[in-house]
Amino acid sequence: MSAASTKTGLAARRWPALAEAFAGEGRTWLFVFKTLLALYLAAWLAMWLRLEQPATAMITVGIVMHPHSGMVRAKSFYRAIGTLCGSTFGLALLCVFPQQRVLFLLCMSLWVGLCAGGATLYRNFMAYGFVLAGYTAAIVALPAVGNPLGVFDSALMRVSEVMLGLVVAGVVSDLVFPERLRMVLRKTAREHFAHFIDFVRGSTGGSIPRAEMEQAHLRFVRAAVELENQRASVIFEDPEIRARSTRMRLLNQHNMAAATSFQSLHHLINRLQREGRDAEVAALIALYRPIGAALTTAPAELHDPAVLAPRLRECAQRLPALEAELHAGLAPGRAQLAFDTGATVLGRFLDELCGYVEVELALRGHVQRGDVERVHFRRGNDATGAMVAVLRTFLTMAALSTFWIASGWTFGASAMLLATIFSGLFAATPNPLASAFSMLAGYALGMLAGLFTACVLLPGSDGFAMLIAATLPLLLAGPWLNAHPELGNIGGGYAIGIVYILALKNPMVYDPAHAFNDAIAQLAGVALAAVSFVFVPRVTGSGWQRRRQFRRLREQVVEAAGAPLEGLPWRFESESRDLFHQAIVHTRPGSRESRELLAWALAVHESGRALIELRQQLRAGRFAVEVHEAVDRAVQAVAQLYRRPDAVRRQQAEDAVRDAIEACAAAPALRPRLYQLLGALRDDESPLATWMPTMEPARAT
Amino acid sequence: MPREIAICGVLVPGLLPIFLGCLLLMVLVDVLIGRYGLYRYVWHPPLFRLALFACLFGLTGLLLLH
Repeated sequence: MSAASTKTGLAARRWPALAEAFAGEGRTWLFVFKTLLALYLAAWLAMWLRLEQPATAMITVGIVMHPHSGMVRAKSFYRAIGTLCGSTFGLALLCVFPQQRVLFLLCMSLWVGLCAGGATLYRNFMAYGFVLAGYTAAIVALPAVGNPLGVFDSALMRVSEVMLGLVVAGVVSDLVFPERLRMVLRKTAREHFAHFIDFVRGSTGGSIPRAEMEQAHLRFVRAAVELENQRASVIFEDPEIRARSTRMRLLNQHNMAAATSFQSLHHLINRLQREGRDAEVAALIALYRPIGAALTTAPAELHDPAVLAPRLRECAQRLPALEAELHAGLAPGRAQLAFDTGATVLGRFLDELCGYVEVELALRGHVQRGDVERVHFRRGNDATGAMVAVLRTFLTMAALSTFWIASGWTFGASAMLLATIFSGLFAATPNPLASAFSMLAGYALGMLAGLFTACVLLPGSDGFAMLIAATLPLLLAGPWLNAHPELGNIGGGYAIGIVYILALKNPMVYDPAHAFNDAIAQLAGVALAAVSFVFVPRVTGSGWQRRRQFRRLREQVVEAAGAPLEGLPWRFESESRDLFHQAIVHTRPGSRESRELLAWALAVHESGRALIELRQQLRAGRFAVEVHEAVDRAVQAVAQLYRRPDAVRRQQAEDAVRDAIEACAAAPALRPRLYQLLGALRDDESPLATWMPTMEPARAT
Repeated sequence: MPREIAICGVLVPGLLPIFLGCLLLMVLVDVLIGRYGLYRYVWHPPLFRLALFACLFGLTGLLLLH
């Protein structure tokens, strides 16, 4: 060990530049090594199995390889499905229109467009499935256009090659020095748990300033979405995580629910404090104190759910007695109503916190027993953005097809094929315009490297070892560039370009004229796919999309007021967070837009949650018809306000909620929620305050 | 079991259905092992899984086709 370190030290002194280049690059080079191993293994196996185009298997490896093995599996899984769908479609297309080139190309363009749209709609690894469905359809059908009778054999070969590439990439990245995403997930989950518990414990003092709450909200939302993203890919990596998957979803949902209740409680306390109602504030803080005490344990056990869970349960049992005692100590009427509202929210919060800690406790056990409730993290996917992607890709493909038909271009199929691959890949990237052009540059570079290798280095070599020796130096650059995300997508383009133009075969065919023609056609295809983003601009992250996501975030309240109640709380919590997260990543932190979005997100959470709970109570209990009608009117009025907020609707909503509170004099169970809604409508720190009449004397009920 | 099976007029090697069956079996085994956390006793779980699959596939293939 010491000998080795002296040796490196010696090398570092002798070649400081070299040592610097390799410092911190260990993981990158490991990734390069794994990718190359997979590439050559796939090529060798494809040649050994006598497949037609080993290059297809190599390209597949190039696209699928990723530093985390869980990612490779996730990609491979969806990719396999996409491959099967795409090849089936390509086959069917050529069977239906073997002699109708216009209809054939039209359908092809439409299919590729739809696949690109799907890749935009699903922002996780399902996107790869769509990219591949488009790509395989093209790769199966296009080369067979001149020889329709051979399409079945061609399809069989392509699917075998792609599948071979997938299997090799999966096996290599899983077996050779695997880098487990599972550890990352575990770390994120534990950190998040610790943060949340700390935050809850730290705020026993009572009020938290709104700004701090907004920051905490931002952090929690980010953690919730991140955990869900990681979970969705790690289940492919690890059977133990897969067995825990349902529980992890439940954990995330409990956490989101608890965070919302917690925020509602603090909004309420803040409002009471601003109105100067100290007795109620003191009572609520006194009610809250046991939770803080239950969470305060010996320093080593601060974040240990096995210690926290029983303490919290015990605290939940003691809470009603304390609540009754504090309730009795307050003046009847307004003060008691405010306190009851706070106590209801607090009870709910404690319940959710207990659930959260208990699920975390179960997750940390070695064996997972019994079934738990199945919940889903619903995504706020953007269908309009996907439609734009469909349109853009369709136009690209249609333009290429027209040009192909009009000019009788021999290599039109190559251009179409490359445009298909890259429009799918671009559609899935977060910033397509920039990445499209860096990918184009990478592709051109890769092609030059490929031409050089194919025309100069390869002809002198003989046997597989010599083939590796000749191609290795230039092939190496692809995965290395890929491992450096700061270089943009040059690596992605380079890796595909060099393998494509090399077109390794057994026996190798040398035809420079064909290679150059092919290169020009491919470059034209990639360029057109990139240029199309200039004409039909991207939607992801644009101001237009942000505004629409913002509106959808507000409309979550409308959904909370009207959608069927089954599973609604889970749907509401996850979808509103996902929408908020998508919108906030594209705003500058601290900008006016970002602050506005945060403020609205908090308001939406509080009101939406109160509406859902109100509706649940209304359904569970037996109330008089007038009560039903009054509460329904209030719910609808609040929904109308969030659909299109303005001063008139705000006033109408407030009046309706006040009427409902009056109508519920005989039904005290409903009143706390209504009072909470009223408070949210009258909150002078919420964005609704813009439409609040300023001259009105302050009165709470 | 025949070496080749005709599915809709397409000749498919008999190993293919066996391969798919083994894949399915492997998923079930994986779920069981994951549920009881038995991979803790294995040094390199992916290697173990691959080896287990190779054993399963080899055994079934030899038994059914030999």
